[in-house]
Amino acid sequence: MSFNKMTKGIFASISATALVAGITLVGAAAPANAATPTTGGTLYYYSHQEQWAAMDPSLMYTGRDMVWASAHIFRNLTSFKPAPGKAGTTLIPDLATNTGVPSNKAKTWKFTLRPGVTWEDGSAITCADLKYGMSRNFAQELFEGGPYYAVSWLDIPEEDDGSSAYKGPYVKTGQAAYDKAVTCSADNRTITYNLKRSVPDFNYFTTYPASGPIKKSADTGEAYGMKPLSSGPYKIDKYEINGTMELSRNTKWKKSSDPIRTPYPDKITVRFGLSEDVRDEISMKDTQKNGVNLDGLQLNNNITFFTNQNAVDKARSINTDDPFTGYLAANTSPGHLDCVQVRKAVFFAYPTAEIIKANGGTKFYGTPGDNPVKPSMGIDYIKTKGNIHDPNYKIEGNPTYAKKLLEEAKTACPEAYDRATNPEKGLKYYRADTSGNKTMAVIVEEALKKAGFVIETVYKPSGTYNTELKNYKKETDFLGSGWASDWPNASTVLPELLGEGCCNYTFNKTTKEYPAFKKILDKALVELDRNKQAKLWQQASQYAMDQYWYIFTVFNKSQEVWGSKVGGVFYWDLGSLAFGNMYVKK
Amino acid sequence: MVRYVGKRLFYTLLLMLFVSLTVYFIFDLLPSDPARLGCVKGCPDSTVELNRIKLGLDVPVIEQWWRFILGLFQGRSYGTGDATFSCPAPALGYSWNRHACVTDVIKETFPVTLSLALGALFMWLALGVSLGILAARKKGKWQDKASTVFVLVGTSLPTFITGIMVVLFIVLQFNVVDPLEIGIWHSPFTDPVGWLQTFFFPCATLALAYAATYTRFTRSNVIEISQEDYIRTARAKGLSEKVILRKHTLRAAIAPIVTMAGMDFAALFGGAVITESIFSLNGLGKLSIKAVTETFDLPIIVATTLIASSFVVIMNLLVDIAYAYIDPRVRTK
Repeated sequence: MSFNKMTKGIFASISATALVAGITLVGAAAPANAATPTTGGTLYYYSHQEQWAAMDPSLMYTGRDMVWASAHIFRNLTSFKPAPGKAGTTLIPDLATNTGVPSNKAKTWKFTLRPGVTWEDGSAITCADLKYGMSRNFAQELFEGGPYYAVSWLDIPEEDDGSSAYKGPYVKTGQAAYDKAVTCSADNRTITYNLKRSVPDFNYFTTYPASGPIKKSADTGEAYGMKPLSSGPYKIDKYEINGTMELSRNTKWKKSSDPIRTPYPDKITVRFGLSEDVRDEISMKDTQKNGVNLDGLQLNNNITFFTNQNAVDKARSINTDDPFTGYLAANTSPGHLDCVQVRKAVFFAYPTAEIIKANGGTKFYGTPGDNPVKPSMGIDYIKTKGNIHDPNYKIEGNPTYAKKLLEEAKTACPEAYDRATNPEKGLKYYRADTSGNKTMAVIVEEALKKAGFVIETVYKPSGTYNTELKNYKKETDFLGSGWASDWPNASTVLPELLGEGCCNYTFNKTTKEYPAFKKILDKALVELDRNKQAKLWQQASQYAMDQYWYIFTVFNKSQEVWGSKVGGVFYWDLGSLAFGNMYVKK
Repeated sequence: MVRYVGKRLFYTLLLMLFVSLTVYFIFDLLPSDPARLGCVKGCPDSTVELNRIKLGLDVPVIEQWWRFILGLFQGRSYGTGDATFSCPAPALGYSWNRHACVTDVIKETFPVTLSLALGALFMWLALGVSLGILAARKKGKWQDKASTVFVLVGTSLPTFITGIMVVLFIVLQFNVVDPLEIGIWHSPFTDPVGWLQTFFFPCATLALAYAATYTRFTRSNVIEISQEDYIRTARAKGLSEKVILRKHTLRAAIAPIVTMAGMDFAALFGGAVITESIFSLNGLGKLSIKAVTETFDLPIIVATTLIASSFVVIMNLLVDIAYAYIDPRVRTK
């Protein structure tokens, strides 16, 4: 899951942030009140966004949206326990009778459907529906941007250009290969997935709507996300972009088949397209008491609201660690920051305190990180040695020590040293042209110059920055981004960010240190013993931090606000409020 | 007259063709790559290429434009295999971002902008012209001075300031509208009260700046015309000031106001972006700005540009016709 800006208010606008589940050592907040939930009423949600990033299951990849949809309309084979804190990251069966049966060293996974699971039209959910739902991931001409796991993992040959030989259920090219990789039992209740390689955490992917069932006869293709068929306790009556989405009870849903969900409200309404000022005003003044802000507040309003709160406001808000980690990656390819001594010098010169302060401070933005993997990931996290735990580290930057390191680089890697300190060359930092980035740039440039670096910020048009990133990341010496794991396993963090995955902005594959690192990752990816796997992730994290592939890491925080008449609210370590437990107080 | 109107409409059509072609070329020159937009997490190149084909950006610009023109007459098909679907004629394209034929999107958003524009037009004409006439008739007196203050305030305050103040300190403060109902469309035919609740404040906000300008313009126009020889003659013949104002002065003064109002009204279809954004209205302005700055939704950009341009041209024509009706001298030309 990635994003390119670090403010909370923008998280939701990024189209491809992924769901994360993390174990928080601190413990998420307990429910807003411990009163008995009440049934009935209308629960409102409101947002500045015009629509959900996607409501088509095959396209859904935004954490908050997946939590919301899974709570109300989409059931999947597995889910997470709806509880705060560490308990909330426990995998539990949802549509399936258990959390999946692996075999063949986790290259084969089997799931059996519970009896009595139905669609909103009363028909049974079958293995064929699961198979069809998964097949839509391969229709990349329609569903680009969705999770790519099915395409990467299912045992289907690839073409020369790297694409799957199976082109999805609409075109049907390669259908035989797909039918071999995903099979249904004779009674249409047990599904078997055959994978290319061992995937010990495949049953975490089955928490995703992209892996869930879709009834073929109800599939309207591209526009399916505007009126998907529900398998959950609510169904969609209306969905207007920039207007409202209205849900009412799905009378065909049975509590007996669904131990997870507790649908208290009679109706749910989502209001899209509010201006940010109106949205914030509603939240701050508690104007819509039975409403929940889906986005959070703008930065200044956030600080105002969360400072000196009265008891009522405190009870209807939360300020918590979230699953996201922000980072600044160093481009380690030849001709850039290809020398560890230079990278280390940048690390120690970096003005972490000022950067965090400019984004809202440690209270709202986050705290310096020591690992690409966050503490909330539990056993995969380790408090690494060195970096922010080095005695020479200062949160405001230590230019004196950085200069010393730079001197070492003079002899260790003279070319890299020259590039970084020669006024005719210098480091380049490509940033989107926004006022926020301009503020950051001044802070960073001043700090690095004190340590002897020559650095230039190159501003690129903000409107096209994301789409041009593929080109910029080759030219810039630094690239800022953020990530949250897709589920509580570092398999969705380290390989993605620093290995062969989608979002490795360090170009570390060209370094001599990379092969050893990749070896650890490859071993961890197929390790079936979870504790052994965790130890490997810890080893990989320490290795990565020792290379200073990341100049700066911050463990982000989130703030959420809801109305005073909304009960049952807690922050789910999946990266959002736990929507499915909310109710309207009488 | 019929031939004149026919000729103007024909030129309008040619202009629309030119405008649509220009939009396609400008879009092609933009440095962004819309095919990558949905792939923030980084799709493989093969997927990006599929996306490019889906968006119709894999063919030369002139062919893209020609497909658009053909679609206006015969509709267009999208998707592949069993997922093929079509937009009936006149097909303005398909918005993959909004999952709807652009024609349907325009059908949703056009009435919102029309309501905003018409409501604001009515308000600013009623307020601006009547205040202007009052100020001209009471030149130098307190009514004139009060109107000067109104003009200063109205022209100094930008819409985004007025709008935010109205929303926060009136609409939300006094719960004039349910907070989550702000900006929700209600048809004026089936729910006039709801329509009024949605549009009163946005129209008033938008009208304020225009009303100030029209007050000043009307005042100076009326004063100038009142000093004409034929007005002096009418006065000398014993006609009352009211009759002179109604029968002679206003008729001459109204012509340039009609021209100005027509152009201002047409410009609102380019999008009263700020007002629509502040009041959460799902109109053409908000639609087009999002298509240009965020989603790079070419079909939406083309459609909204064509609507904006055609409104300017058509209003120009209507203003000319109205002008001919008001001023008989124009007819003989």
